[in-house]
This record gives sequence, C-alpha cells and structure tokens, in this order.
Amino acid sequence: MDKEVPGLGSTVTIELDRTLFSAEAVLKTCHWFSKDFAFEICAREGACLSVSLTVKQASVASECVRADFISMATDFTLRERIEARTTSIRELLLAKAFAEAGVLEDSPEGVFGDPIEEEKPDGLFKILSNASG
Amino acid sequence: MPRTFYPAENFAPVPNSVSLLPFRFTRLFGKELLVNEAGEYLFAPEGTVHALVSGSFAATTELYKDLKAKHFLYDDTSSPLLDILAAKIRTKFQHIYGGTKLHIFVVTLRCEHSCHYCQVSRQGAAKGEFDMSTATADRALALMFDSPAPHLTLEMQGGEPLLAFDMIRYLVPRAKAMAKERGKMLDLVVTTNLAVATDEMLQYLADEGVKVSTSLDGPAFLHNQNRPRPGNDSYERAIDGIARARKIVGVENVAALMTTTSASLDHVEEIIDEYVRQEFHTIFLRPISPYGFAVKSRKRTGYEMARFLEFYKRGLKHILEINRSGYRLAEIYTQILLTKILTPYGTGYVDLQSPAGEAWNVLVYNYDGNVFASDESRMLAEMRDNTFRLGNVHKDTRRTLLTSDAALAMFESSCNQTLVGCSDCAFQAYCGADPIFHHATQGDMYGHRPSSDFCARNMESIKHLFSYIAQDDPATMGIFWAWLTGRPLPSLEVPCA
Repeated sequence: MDKEVPGLGSTVTIELDRTLFSAEAVLKTCHWFSKDFAFEICAREGACLSVSLTVKQASVASECVRADFISMATDFTLRERIEARTTSIRELLLAKAFAEAGVLEDSPEGVFGDPIEEEKPDGLFKILSNASG
Repeated sequence: MPRTFYPAENFAPVPNSVSLLPFRFTRLFGKELLVNEAGEYLFAPEGTVHALVSGSFAATTELYKDLKAKHFLYDDTSSPLLDILAAKIRTKFQHIYGGTKLHIFVVTLRCEHSCHYCQVSRQGAAKGEFDMSTATADRALALMFDSPAPHLTLEMQGGEPLLAFDMIRYLVPRAKAMAKERGKMLDLVVTTNLAVATDEMLQYLADEGVKVSTSLDGPAFLHNQNRPRPGNDSYERAIDGIARARKIVGVENVAALMTTTSASLDHVEEIIDEYVRQEFHTIFLRPISPYGFAVKSRKRTGYEMARFLEFYKRGLKHILEINRSGYRLAEIYTQILLTKILTPYGTGYVDLQSPAGEAWNVLVYNYDGNVFASDESRMLAEMRDNTFRLGNVHKDTRRTLLTSDAALAMFESSCNQTLVGCSDCAFQAYCGADPIFHHATQGDMYGHRPSSDFCARNMESIKHLFSYIAQDDPATMGIFWAWLTGRPLPSLEVPCA
C-alpha cells in the first residue's frame, strides 16, 4: 500500500458508512489518533460519517493514515460486538470472582482497625478515634 | 481383524450453538492475539475474531478446542465453567486482597550524595531537623500494623537512612515486637547507598535480619557520573559496601537497583556486564522517574521513552545471551510482565496494578509524619505538589487516610478497566493505571494514553515479550521459565563427540 504521510496542517478526510461503523467506534479510533491529529466529525446525508484529520505536529506516527484509521475503526467495531455479546456474562464473572472480597457490600463487617491496638484503653487508635469522632 | 470405531462426532458432538466469553484482542506479527479476562492468551490466524463474532467459526477445528479450553467461548456441549474462570480472575487480582503490605519509612532526608536524578530534595548530612522523631515513628508503626495484611514489609529509606541509624535501631525491635504480638510476618529492608555503612551497622542489620537494597548504576565512569558525592568515589564505596554487606549480611540479602539516565543509554551492555562482574543475578533496567528533583534536572538526565525502549530491548537481548552462556541473570521488569502473561498470578509490583497499588498496597510515612500514597507522591510533595498527601500520622487513622479526598480521587482513576484507551486494550490484564505518573507527567490522573510514556513503555515492552513468545524458541522460553519458577537454567546442548 502507498504511504500517505500528511504534512503539518494538512487534512485527510475519511468517509465511513454509519451502518457499519458506530459513532462510538469512530470516536475511540479518533482518541488513539489524537496525539498527532485534530478532528472534525460530522454526519453527512444518508449513512455517511465524515472524519477530517488535521495534522497537528511535525512528526506523525502513522504512515498510511487512511488505511490505519479504517483498520482501527474496524477493530473497535468488532470489540463493540464482542462486548455486546459478553457484557452480562462478564458482570457475572466479576461478581463471582470478587464476591469474597466484600467489595460488593456497602460496608465491611467486623473491626476495621488493629484489634490489639483498639482493645487497649490508652491505645493510639482509641485516642485518635475519639478525637476524630 | 481390523476394528472399526464410531466417528469422532460420537464422542465430541458438533455444537449447535456457540457463545462467546469476554475477551480483548489486538493484531501482532500477522496474527490476532486474543486475551481473556484472566490474562490467558492465544495467537490465532487473521480473521478469527471476525469469524467468532459473525458466528461462522468452524467448531471442528483444533483452534476451536483451544479457544474453548482457554475460556474464549463455550457451547451447548459443555459448561461455561464460570466458577473456574472466576477463580482464575481472582488469582490474577490477588494484590487487592489483604490491605497495605509495603510500608516505607523515610527516616531522614539527609544524604551525602547529590545525584542528578535524585527524586527527593536532599538535605545536608548534618541537618538533624530532617530526621524522623520517635513520636512520629511510633505513630507510623501503629498505622502500619493497623493494616490487615498478614505479611508486612517495613522499608527504611531516605535520604540516606544509615545517616539516621539510631532511628533504624529504634524502629526494628519495635516493629518485630508488634509483628510477634499480632502474629504477622515481617520483612525488614533498608535502602542505602552503602557509602557510610560501617561493619558495626552491617552486623546489626545481619543480627536483626534486615535486608539491604542498594544502588549500582553501572561501571565506575557511569555510576560516579550519575551519583556525585564528595571525593567522587560513590562507585568505589558502593562496591566496597556490597562486598562487606554480602560478607556480613549474606549474599542472598543484598540486592541492587539501577537508574537509567541519558548518560546510560549508550552503555546498556556495560551496565549489565558490571552486574555480572559483581555477581548479581538480577538487574532492573529502570527508566528515570519523572518526579521530584529529577524534574529539575531533566535536561541533564532525561530522554525520550523511545530511546529507553531501545535501551531495554538491547539490554534484554544481551541478558538472554548471558543466560545462554550459563550465567543466571534475570531482568526484573521482564520477569514481572512474564509472570502476568505466562502464569496465573499477578505480582506485588505496584506500578503495574489495577486497581493501582498506590495507597492500597503501599504507604509512605515521611520523616515529618506526612503520609503519602507512594514514594512518587512524596517526591511530588518535595516539588510542592501535595495532591497525593493522604494525611499525617499524628492526626489520622488508617480509615481517614484511605478515605481522604486525595485517596478517593486517586482510586477513581486507578482502574485501567474503566480508563479511556485501556478499557479495550488487549494488554489490560498485564498492565496498570498509575494515576500518580499521569498526574505528574500530563497533569491529569486519568491520563491521555496515546501520548503517555507509561502506555508507550508498557505497550512496547509487552509487544516485545510477545515477540519472543510467538517465536517460541525453546532456549529463550526455557530461560524465561527458569526466571519465573526459580528452576535452573535450561542446560546447554552439547553435541556428541
């Protein structure tokens, strides 16, 4: 594929089919290009989404901007589809994984602090707890 | 008489429906790399993810079996094995259990070195007002033992902590008594340049079981350039100190760390060879930290992350050659990343944890009683940025420290699972969030990953390690596994005579 290295201030415009690429996937792609480019995104008539990338620094990491952008947007679209199909099971998995940690409870049961120090009438934490309480 | 068997489908029926389990992916070396929630990975041919998502993936292939075995999918002929996958996820996130494990006591800010990259504002060797008081030490110890962690580490550092040796002698017996009373395990470490270490000091450390962590930046010309002190003899003192410490405290109880300055970048082989010459078996190729005094001297010591990555890759190649020659030398960052990639476990290394390990897994008690979320937070405070000051030992409890505005703001940006740029990243399970680094370098705890040095370093390092994994060279993988398991290096094949 031919290299396409735009110069500082120049603009590359990419048109995408909105029935294939969601706004979310395009925005995530823009985020990863945002070190080197400024963006203007607008919805055209029909199903077209127009993304203009303007080079904002002298050295640009991407050599084939258009191809790299579309390739990354395609991957983000795939990721969206995976997420859509796995969100429920992911939530269940994480709940199972961390149920024992108590992170799902509003407040942990039992003594929060050092039990030995808290049992001492003159313990540091008795003093500090009283002072703060 | 030939026997006939039923076709394979009778034993492993072709599924009617296939369901995906959550995973992330990226493209590497002409393949797709799939990584599940527990960090298990699989290289697959281009097009695999699309076929999985579109439901056109053939369930009769070997790859299908691998995808099923590694929890990327399940079907109507098998259970999703959610409890097993949940247990794997829990194992990977072991670092979030148990409370704060590492407690760093800054016993003094005094130091007789004036290193260009020093991350703290060093004070002259005679200024006693920069030492920790016994009242502060008592409070800090009480806070440390308030942690529910069953295994605690007390690290005494500075400045140069041996300049406040009385405080070390004060802390060690008290910490041991408190650990014994509470039935906790305790590791003791002193981080010292060894320049002022006397044999009596070292004998005390040996008697009390205190480990020594010291600095060695490379051969004499580089070490002395990086670490100026009166007499320009930092290297000679470090080497002498290491030799005496090994003799008195024990070889296994003395470790060294190096820091990479711009002066180091062209000398990675010499630095590594120096570690071999000094008979160390670990080396940590560490970039300079963008905190504290290092920020002031950035022009003298700083460099682009791309140059550091080149340094790291060249260094790792040299280290592997040394291991192939039979000398065991593990690179610590590689070991940490490989543990996360190749084993079911996470690591205690706080910079690569999500939720971030700062405050949760490490607390720093400064000489003046201020408590910070990490050593890096303390360095920022030395530059008058108190964003990560959680409180003070003289007025706070563990609860108020960990629920302080500073801690809560940091915790909110400490999960890479929810950060822009990280939430979809295939390397998420191997990486961290490091809100303090991003605050220091980008002015934003959440950070902008496309321009983040943290992201650049870890993305490239992990890709580099996957390049070795993809090659699957038995000798290289044998070395990696030897580092991870403590087993001997793979033996060299000797051709038959």
